[in-house]
Amino acid sequence: MKRMAIAILTLAAAIEVFGQVRGGAPGAGAPAIPAGGAAQRGGPPAGGGLPGAGGGQRGGPAGGGPAGGGPPGGGAPGGALGGGRGGGARGGKAGAPFDMTGYWVSVVGEDWRWRAFPTRGDYGAVPLNQAARRIADAWDPDKDAAAGEACKAFAAPSVMRVPGRLHITWQDEQTLKIETDAGKQTRVFYFANLPENKTEDYQGSSKAEWDLGNAGAGGLFFGGGGAASAPSGSLKVITTRMKSGYATRNGVPFSNTATLTEYYDLVKEKNGVEYLILTSSLDDPTYMSQPMWTATHFKKQADATGFIPVGCDGK
Amino acid sequence: MKTIYRIFGILLVAGAAVGAQIQAPGAAPENGAGLGPMVAGTDFSGSWRPQQLVLESQTAAGDLADFGGIPLNDAARIYALSWPASRQTVKQHQCMGYVTPYFWYAPANYRIWEERDPFTQRLVSWRFYGQIAQGDRTVYMDGRPHPPAYAPHTFEGFSTGEYQGNTLTVTTTHLKRGWIKANGVPQSDAATVVEHYVRHGDTITMLAVIDDPVYLTEPLSKASMLVRMSRDPDAWLYPCDDSEQIFGRKSDVVPNHLFGQNPYSREYADRRKMPLLAALGGRETMYPELANAVRDTAAAENQAKARMMPSGPAAVSHAPDPTPKDGEIHAMRVSGDVYLLAGDGANIAVQVGPQGALMVDTGTGKLADKVVAAIAKLSAKPIQFIVNTTYRPDHTGGNAKLRTAGADPSLTGTFFSMQFQGAGSAATIISQLNTQTHMMEQKLAAPPSDTFIEDRRRKYYNGEAVEVFPMPNATTDGDSVVHFRRADVIVAGDIFTTTEYPHIDTKLGGSVQGEIDALNFILDRTVYVHDEDGGTMIIPGHGRITDEWEVAEYRDMLVIIRDRV
Repeated sequence: MKRMAIAILTLAAAIEVFGQVRGGAPGAGAPAIPAGGAAQRGGPPAGGGLPGAGGGQRGGPAGGGPAGGGPPGGGAPGGALGGGRGGGARGGKAGAPFDMTGYWVSVVGEDWRWRAFPTRGDYGAVPLNQAARRIADAWDPDKDAAAGEACKAFAAPSVMRVPGRLHITWQDEQTLKIETDAGKQTRVFYFANLPENKTEDYQGSSKAEWDLGNAGAGGLFFGGGGAASAPSGSLKVITTRMKSGYATRNGVPFSNTATLTEYYDLVKEKNGVEYLILTSSLDDPTYMSQPMWTATHFKKQADATGFIPVGCDGK
Repeated sequence: MKTIYRIFGILLVAGAAVGAQIQAPGAAPENGAGLGPMVAGTDFSGSWRPQQLVLESQTAAGDLADFGGIPLNDAARIYALSWPASRQTVKQHQCMGYVTPYFWYAPANYRIWEERDPFTQRLVSWRFYGQIAQGDRTVYMDGRPHPPAYAPHTFEGFSTGEYQGNTLTVTTTHLKRGWIKANGVPQSDAATVVEHYVRHGDTITMLAVIDDPVYLTEPLSKASMLVRMSRDPDAWLYPCDDSEQIFGRKSDVVPNHLFGQNPYSREYADRRKMPLLAALGGRETMYPELANAVRDTAAAENQAKARMMPSGPAAVSHAPDPTPKDGEIHAMRVSGDVYLLAGDGANIAVQVGPQGALMVDTGTGKLADKVVAAIAKLSAKPIQFIVNTTYRPDHTGGNAKLRTAGADPSLTGTFFSMQFQGAGSAATIISQLNTQTHMMEQKLAAPPSDTFIEDRRRKYYNGEAVEVFPMPNATTDGDSVVHFRRADVIVAGDIFTTTEYPHIDTKLGGSVQGEIDALNFILDRTVYVHDEDGGTMIIPGHGRITDEWEVAEYRDMLVIIRDRV
C-alpha cells in the first residue's frame, strides 16, 4: 500500500514537471528574453499545463526566482516589476490575448501637475540622485531646442506620459508599433529578434512578449478543477539601448545604461469603454537611487479624432 | 496506510477549524451568496505601500484649489472653493474615513488577504485593510448582490469583485460622501467606483474609474500603484478620537469661504506658473486639448473667474431617493429590535419586542395594510404606540389604519379608557402638542391623543429606553426626534433627510436656526464606532439609513447656506 501511495505521488510530481516543461516556466518572474523569439518559447496557446490545470499557481516565486510552483500564499517576488504569476509567454500578433491596436488618448487623471505643467525643479517623488538633480535643476527647454535636442523629453521613458494620443498598429506579425502624436515619436516592439546594429536613439530597442498570467501551471496534487480563466495576460516590453534623455518632461535625466520595463494591460468597462493601463519601471544605475515607477492610462477612441502629430519642437 | 489517512484527516479537520476561527464575521457566506471562484487568479496578498509619486500627487498633500485633471462640474468646484482647511477642526470632520479610491492614497501601510470558505476553500472575499482611518474593505467574490438603495452607506462602501483574466475588477457602491481629493473636491454618496487591479511582480497597478453623477461631468479615471513590502511594517492602527479644537466655538459654526472670497484660490496656480483655468479643473483638463484651451491667456483668465462663482439657474438637487416605488413595504433591520419600513412615502420605523410594537410615523397610508402585514411578520403582538415626528401627511397618513390595527392594553380598565375614541382598543398616538394642533387645523385623520409640550417624553418599552424629544422651531414648531437607546437608533423625522433640503415652514414656527439646533441636538447624542462610521444609526424622514456623518454634512450645508444668505 505504501508503494502504491509513493507511486501516485511520483506520478503527480511527474505530471507537474511535464506541464511546466510544456508551458514554459510557470512561476518564473522576469524571465530572460529568449534569443530565439516566440517560436522558441514553446507551449500550447493556453500557455501550458495539462488540461484543467488552471489553479494552484498563485503566489509562485517571481522576480527571477526559480521556475516551478512556489508555496501558496504569496511568495516574495524579487524584481521591481518581475513576473509574479505562473503563466507562460508567447509572441506576436497570433498570440495576443487582447487587441490593443487603434487610437488611444491619454487621460491625465494621475500625476497631473507634472504631466500637464512641468516646471523646473519640481521632481516630486522621482528617486533621482545628486548627479541627476544637478542636471534637472539646469533644465532649459529653449537650450535643448537650440541644440536640436528637443526630443529628449519625448524619449521612451517619458513620451507615454506626455498628454497626447497613440496610434497602435501591427507593423508585421511579430512587430507592434506605437506612434505618438506628441513629439511625432515611433516606438517599435519586437516579439522576434531585435534588429542588429541598431544605434542608440531616444526610443531604444524594445523586446516584447506576452506575459500570460493565469494560463497553465497547476499546483501540487492536481491543481485546477475550478473555472478556467479566460485567455489573458499583459504585454511586457523591455527597452534598452536608449540614448540619454529625460525621464520626465521637466529635465530629470536618464542615462544610456537605463532599462525601461513596461507592462501594458487592457481592461474593459461594462459600458464598453476600454482602457490601456501602462505600468512602467525605469531602472537607471547612473541617475536613480531606485527604480522609478509610474502608472499611466489611456482611453480607447473610435477613430483618429484629435491625433495630430506635432514635433518635439511644437511644430 | 491507515496512519497516513489519520494524518490527513487530522490535517483537514485542523485546517477547517483554523479557517473557521480566522474568518471575519462578515465574510461568511450568507443567503443569496453563491460559491466563490475555485481558482482565484492573481494573488494580491501581502503588505503594501503606495508608490511615492501617488503620495505626492493624490493625497491630502494636494494644494488648495488644485483641481486639475478632475472632470468636476460647477457644483463640485464651488463646493471645493468654499472648503477651507479649517473645516477639519469641526468635530465630525476630524476622523472621517477615506472612500475608495482615495483609500489607497494615504501615506500608510496596506494589507491584503483573502477569506476562504473553510469547507470548500472557495474564495469568499478579498480583504483590503488600510492603516489610515483603519479602513477595512471587504470585496465579496461569491456573487452576492449589492444591498438595496435604502441601506446604510460607509466610507468603505459595499464591494463585489470578479476576475477578468489577470485583472481583479471591483465594483463599489454605498459609499459615503468623501473626497476625490482632500483639498475639498467632493465625491458624493451616489458615486460608483470600479477598480481594476493588476499585479506585476512587486507592484500592483490600479485603475479606478469614478462615476459620480452629482459632482463629475464624466467618469474620472486614474491609475496608481502599490509597492510590496518585504517585511511587515508592524504599524497598522490609527486611533482617532475627535475633540475640541477651537475652545469656546459654538456648534453651529462651520468654517467656509463665501462665493468668490476664497483667499487661496489663485495660490496654487500662481506658484506653479499655470493658468488658473487649468488649476480649477474640469473635463478639458484631463485631455491633451488642455493646451489649446489655455493658449489665449486673457480668455482663459476670464473663463476662470467666471467659474469661481455660481452661474445660471440654481441646479436641482441630484440626491437620489432610494425609497422603493414597487408598491411593497420593504423591511430592513437597522439595529437591535428597530426596523425601517420603506415604501410608503416618509420612512417608518418600528421597534418590536415582548410588549408589542412601537412605531414612529405611519407613511402616506396608501400602503397601510401592507405596513400592518410587515409589522405582523416582525411581531405577533399588537402595535401599541405610534409616535408622530411631524404633522405632515406623508408621515401621518397611515395613522388611522395603523391605530385601529393596534391596541394599547395599558389603557384598558384605567381612567383613560373612556377619555378618547379607541382608548385601549387601538394604538395610542403620541406627539408634540403643536403637531396635534396642526393636524386638527388641517383636518388630517387620526391626530395624536397623547401629547407633550417642552420636556422629553420617555418610555421603557420592550426592555429599551425610548425617548421622544421635542425640537422647537425646526421644520415646524411641532417636530420631534425619537431615540431608541439600547438599539442606539435615532429617528429624525423631517429634520433630516438624505434626499432634499429641509422644508422649513416659517408660518408653522420653523426656522433655519432651529433646524440647525435640532441637527446639533442629534449630533450631541451620536457616537461612531470608528472614524465616522457606524455606531448610532439615524433613520431620516426620507432617504436611506445613515449615521452621524450624514447628519453632520446636512448640518454643515445648512450653516453654510445660512451664512451665505
